[in-house]
Amino acid sequence: MSDVDGVGTAEPAVEVRGLARVYDRGRGRNSRQITALDRIDLTVARGEIRGLLGPNGAGKTTLCKILCTVLLPSAGSARVLGHDVTADPVAVKKSVGVVFGGDRGLYGRLDARANLNLWGALHGVHGAALHRQVDALLERVGLADRAEERVDGFSRGMKQRLHLARGMVADPQVLLLDEPTSGMDPVAAHDFRSLVEQLRLEGRTVLLTTHDMAEAEAVCDQVTLMDKGTLLATERPSELSAGLSSLESVEAEDVPESAVGEISELSGVADVKRLSAGRLRVDTESSDVTRQVLQVLVNAGVTSLGTVRPSLEDVYLHYIGRRGMAVRS
Amino acid sequence: MRVFTAAFRFQLALARRKPDTVHVLVTAPLFTLVFVSIGVHAHRPDFTASAVLAPVLMSLWSLALLTAGDLISQDRNRGTLEAIVATPARFATVVLGRLTAVASVALVCFAESWLVAWSCFGVVLTIAHPLVFVSCLVCSSLAMAGTASLLSAAFVLMPSARVLQNTLTYPFYLLGGLLVPVAELPGWLRPLSRLVFLSWSSDLLRASVSGPAGHWWTALAAIVGLGVAGAVSGALLIGAILRRVRRTGTLALT
Repeated sequence: MSDVDGVGTAEPAVEVRGLARVYDRGRGRNSRQITALDRIDLTVARGEIRGLLGPNGAGKTTLCKILCTVLLPSAGSARVLGHDVTADPVAVKKSVGVVFGGDRGLYGRLDARANLNLWGALHGVHGAALHRQVDALLERVGLADRAEERVDGFSRGMKQRLHLARGMVADPQVLLLDEPTSGMDPVAAHDFRSLVEQLRLEGRTVLLTTHDMAEAEAVCDQVTLMDKGTLLATERPSELSAGLSSLESVEAEDVPESAVGEISELSGVADVKRLSAGRLRVDTESSDVTRQVLQVLVNAGVTSLGTVRPSLEDVYLHYIGRRGMAVRS
Repeated sequence: MRVFTAAFRFQLALARRKPDTVHVLVTAPLFTLVFVSIGVHAHRPDFTASAVLAPVLMSLWSLALLTAGDLISQDRNRGTLEAIVATPARFATVVLGRLTAVASVALVCFAESWLVAWSCFGVVLTIAHPLVFVSCLVCSSLAMAGTASLLSAAFVLMPSARVLQNTLTYPFYLLGGLLVPVAELPGWLRPLSRLVFLSWSSDLLRASVSGPAGHWWTALAAIVGLGVAGAVSGALLIGAILRRVRRTGTLALT
């Protein structure tokens, strides 16, 4: 059982216990079972921005779908603001806003405003309150000037913004964002981070699945790494990388070949790479080895040097491994 | 009721931009031209009511089968079904509101057919019992929405729904007494015909035009009853399908 909890409060926004989801695929002799979630435990405190990082097939979207009640768990329980997703789905739906990423999920023949009007009404927002909410959201996601245009003509990034507005139309306390910046240009992605920061200030809870390490580091209070339906680790982004001293590196410029040779022969040096003209990167296996490498470089008269802490991407690759384009079956 | 109204208005807005909904506004006048010209050529003024009303009911059934029947499947293909199901609104109510909007398009077809008969042939269809006529038209549209909710749910389960949809048009034009009054159908077919709300609608509409309307309340009750039966069956089937796809994880087609 995976049991990697974040720091919770007495009344967590999301509480998952022993949650499992198994899909049956194929028929007859070709039938097989795919475990998308393998009895995970997860707690997300109210007001927390939690990132879910993992490769395709890790189980991130399955978790989001269970939490917004469109998918039933095979075993275990999941509660949102105290409401069980299986026993009390209507109460869960009232408190959750969900954003599924991608081009689909919108009525392309209608304009942005008509789309939001529908989703608002289905969430019980009507009349003047709906008009005010839709206007405010269109402004907030930067689509106010395009509100009367057909969604079919929107770029992928604009559709993604509309998805975000749709998720917020009912003013939910908990937001499930499944790869919300997929397809956004860098400026829009930066604006998205500001938006999440506003959501934090408003006290909302956000569960954010993403492949974007920089995004997770920038906006998340805690990050949970997932793979093969299990939770691998939950930490603050900075602590997650600080805990991995084995991924420390030293970078230096104008390193003489003799020093490179000496460093390569040190025990505990994992890798020595030439990054660009005159620039060297040395991956070490511990802080002690890092100190030895620094000593060699100083002795060789190198003046431009420093240690590099592992990025969240390094941590991600450390836990998940390098599997290239492969998707688990 | 507010969800129903919102779904109704939304579908009307969508219908204005979807040829598969408004195509009946093009085909109904053409069918009227054909049918009325046959009546005029055969010197059969008694055929006028059928000639004008048949295209309206044909439009109603065509919308139920082809457009409304596709509603859930299209949402599933579009990826919007998942998002709708994730809202607190009762899904069956949303579907019924949208289907009622689709059915209301058929009401416009009557105005078109009436105008075509008058403007092209000088044939004026007078209505002997306007209240019965309007009640029948409105109840038929609601019954169509109810029936369509059942079809819409059933077609989700069928891998070759489109083939079935295309196959079921003309048989139901006959069973519904749209082209030939039910009384003219073979005796063994009539009990089956009476299970189709359109058979009551077509008889009552013709009777309300030419009078006397006879036991109009019986026909109206049959239309409403069959419509409610369709709506209840549809709601139950939709509920069962949603439970199944949430269990199997096939709500969205990805």
